[in-house]
Amino acid sequence: MNGAELAAAVRRADVGYQVFAERLEDPIAYEGDHAFHFSTKDNLCSIDFQTRSGSRILEGYRPPFDATAIERLRKAGGLLIGKTNMDEFGFGSFSTNSAIGVPRNPFDLERCCGGSSGGAAAAASLIEDHLAVGVSTGGSISCPASFCGVVGLTPTYGRVSRWGLIDYGTSLDKVGLLSASSAPIRRYLPVISGPDPLDPTSQTQPPLDMSGGIDSVAVPEEMVADLSDDMRDAFQEAVGKLEGMGVEVLKVAMPALRYALPAYYILATAEASTNMARYCGMRYGDIVEDTDLGFNELFSSVRSRGLGSETKRRILLGTFCRMVGLRDRYYIKALQVRQLVIRQYEEAFQGADAVLTPTMPYVAPRFDEIETMTALEAYHADILTVPPNLAGLPHISLPCAYIGGMPAGMQLAAPHWKEGRLLSLAERWESEFQYRIPEGRT
Amino acid sequence: MDEETVRKVARVARLDLTDEEVSKYAADLEDILSTFEVLDEAPSTEDFDLDPVPVEDRLRDDEVLAYPDPARLRREMRTADGWVRGPRLT
Repeated sequence: MNGAELAAAVRRADVGYQVFAERLEDPIAYEGDHAFHFSTKDNLCSIDFQTRSGSRILEGYRPPFDATAIERLRKAGGLLIGKTNMDEFGFGSFSTNSAIGVPRNPFDLERCCGGSSGGAAAAASLIEDHLAVGVSTGGSISCPASFCGVVGLTPTYGRVSRWGLIDYGTSLDKVGLLSASSAPIRRYLPVISGPDPLDPTSQTQPPLDMSGGIDSVAVPEEMVADLSDDMRDAFQEAVGKLEGMGVEVLKVAMPALRYALPAYYILATAEASTNMARYCGMRYGDIVEDTDLGFNELFSSVRSRGLGSETKRRILLGTFCRMVGLRDRYYIKALQVRQLVIRQYEEAFQGADAVLTPTMPYVAPRFDEIETMTALEAYHADILTVPPNLAGLPHISLPCAYIGGMPAGMQLAAPHWKEGRLLSLAERWESEFQYRIPEGRT
Repeated sequence: MDEETVRKVARVARLDLTDEEVSKYAADLEDILSTFEVLDEAPSTEDFDLDPVPVEDRLRDDEVLAYPDPARLRREMRTADGWVRGPRLT
């Protein structure tokens, strides 16, 4: 792909599908030193674009530095073409909670891309040979990968430095990669991985081992019980294909996973509510001229105008869960439950190399369907992606079926630090199963 | 969660809410909190941590980057009455 072709593809993705919060304008000088092109979700700081994290409150914020992942990809010869649209601060599963732009699904303009890295998944789908950097807290890479028919890898918690990431849930956030196939992820995961003195959580990781494979998978029965009929059939067919490839499939019980979704929403919102405290008009956020206001009134006024409705909902929930008298019941209990979930996975990994589920309970919903969902129904969309995220496990979503023309994914979770085995299985899968390219790419 | 609690939490979180928002969030949060009750059935454990994988703070090794000659420093520094003179603050 030359600069003119890349510029045309980027323009098409942006104008037709609202993929970018900000992007390079034509012409794009893509030649010479550039080995590849990439985009990043708009919650990773970069020098040459605004970083707004999908929020009005960060309008005009231009970071004076690059996030470590971006810096490493640039050093490897990558050209950063733009910042992709997302749910405000990552709060959502459909990328519709954005003050900047709502990306549209490459396979159907009336449907969402998933979230919160929706623009990233759409960029990976629509732009040939593209690498999209995403961020996952509770499924924000797997979900849009499934809805947009691309591969999404979420590494182990601590594998990729979070320096330069605008935090959502501090004990959950992970930087990862999306692409139309697994090959670019295999090539560039080693580039962004590794210890970084600027992020303590990255400092204790073992070296990245890209070898290993998957000979057996465990399918937790609880997690496939509530699927739609067509999703269940599609998943069963994919399981059959895996068996045909020689992968042993074991049905297991993992009862502790039923605690994962509530525990996740407690930890994520409690942590988010403290991380959001900085958006009060002092350092970040719109500074108001009205100096007659006291500090509390000033802060409340800036936050109430600048933050979206889902963000307010999560701040309220998280603040409530941290209040005096409730902390043990909610936050501490959720930490305990996370440990139970981790142990449940460890037991499963004694009998199998990975845990397999569908990625999402359904294909990408239409925008009109999303509008009528309650908050609880929207949170329930994350039921399959939350468990490995809560446990900090590496996981990958691979396209495994097309239902009525819409892609659906399967998700494999491996033990901590075993990203290599997920990518080996992905390569084997891709030699058996052909991914579809959306019409919008051409 | 009742509306009074929502107003109280919103004050703590520095959010001004309209009456309409208060009633919507009260209903939503009541709905969500009711699903958290399943956690009461989960066994408790003392063995838990703040991060899902072990994280330990690692400090950078102390490294001498420059070792200026103290006599030369004293000679070249702007001093007055044995004190180092810094820039004006105002």
